[in-house]
Amino acid sequence: MITAEWKPIEEMVGYLRGHKKVLVIGCATCVAECAAGGEREVETLAPLLAMAMQNDGNPIEVKSATLERQCEPEFLEAIAEAAAEADAIVSVACGIGMQLVAERYADTSLYPGVNTTSLSIREEPGLWTSRCAACGDCVLGFTFGLCPVARCAKSLQNGPCGGTRTNGMCEINEDTPCIWRLIVERATARGRLEDLTKVRPPKNWSNSPAGGPKRMLREDLRS
Amino acid sequence: MANNSTADFQPQITLLYCRQSLAAEAKPVQGNRSGDGFSARLVLLPCSSKVQLPHLMRLLEQGSDGLQIAACPEKACQHLVGSNRAEKRIARGRELLEQVGMGAERLGLDRGAGLSLDDLMEMAGQRAEAVRALGPNPMKGV
Ligand code: SF4
Ligand code: SF4
Repeated sequence: MITAEWKPIEEMVGYLRGHKKVLVIGCATCVAECAAGGEREVETLAPLLAMAMQNDGNPIEVKSATLERQCEPEFLEAIAEAAAEADAIVSVACGIGMQLVAERYADTSLYPGVNTTSLSIREEPGLWTSRCAACGDCVLGFTFGLCPVARCAKSLQNGPCGGTRTNGMCEINEDTPCIWRLIVERATARGRLEDLTKVRPPKNWSNSPAGGPKRMLREDLRS
Repeated sequence: MANNSTADFQPQITLLYCRQSLAAEAKPVQGNRSGDGFSARLVLLPCSSKVQLPHLMRLLEQGSDGLQIAACPEKACQHLVGSNRAEKRIARGRELLEQVGMGAERLGLDRGAGLSLDDLMEMAGQRAEAVRALGPNPMKGV
């Protein structure tokens, strides 16, 4: 799922000064799963913003709605009336959903209520950890199903670096396993450690976000 | 009528209590009660874990001066971890209330078993005392 985290409320207050009618919108899909932008979070944030703005000396009227999905245009019509009445929208969906809202309701100021942070799994209740960085040239077939792009602090393609802790954790964070340690362990368990010494073709980073905006075209699907 | 002047501030406390925390012989009560220097609205819950942040934040947005949750002792929760979940949510709620300038003390949870109506009112009174220093809820009458 795409994960996101609330921005500090102070930052949201800064955005909303000067506005009077605010619509807080969420998305019932990824950001609901990571407890940042589903109905529960929207209905928590909306009254909190009303209180924050009241205490800031800039009272606002707050309405709220949670869309089924914010990243599909059809679902955005559900807030047409509320968006027309609002002079600002705070979205707690991912950056994709937010931009679609900004495009559809271009006359209304749109502010992010969250920072979109990763493509993660829910590892345990209350803990989400990265699994993919949408690098555009997947190497999981070489790395025994463990991603060295998203899960190695240096995105090393031939690890580990010299920083692995003696307990097998990454040098950047004692709670994050060194993914290359796990890759080596899995390769060893499969009796295929030798595979990691094979020379691989260079990775195509030009298909990653570093290669510029992505434009994916499928002629067979176009009308 | 809401009383907004700080001098004779009579905090209005919403007390949400788990019915399992009541004494066996105590009759569940709901509704408004007057205490010494405060008033309390008692709300019966099937378990303290039923409290959710959206409800708590709405209650404060609507002008309640303080919210008090009464939960069972840690090992006595009928849902085993229900009261612990409630406690964690309350901790998060308190952090958020601090961030928006309302003050963490507007929300609290205490545990108890075999509680009487007087015990519940005492808990509400303690919340009222904690809230008194913060003054009336700025959302009152908005
Ligand atoms: S190698 Fe690239 S595409 Fe594959 S999981 Fe990692 S980041 Fe995602
Ligand atoms: S310790 Fe492991 S995961 Fe961390 S940077 Fe080095 S190779 Fe990457």
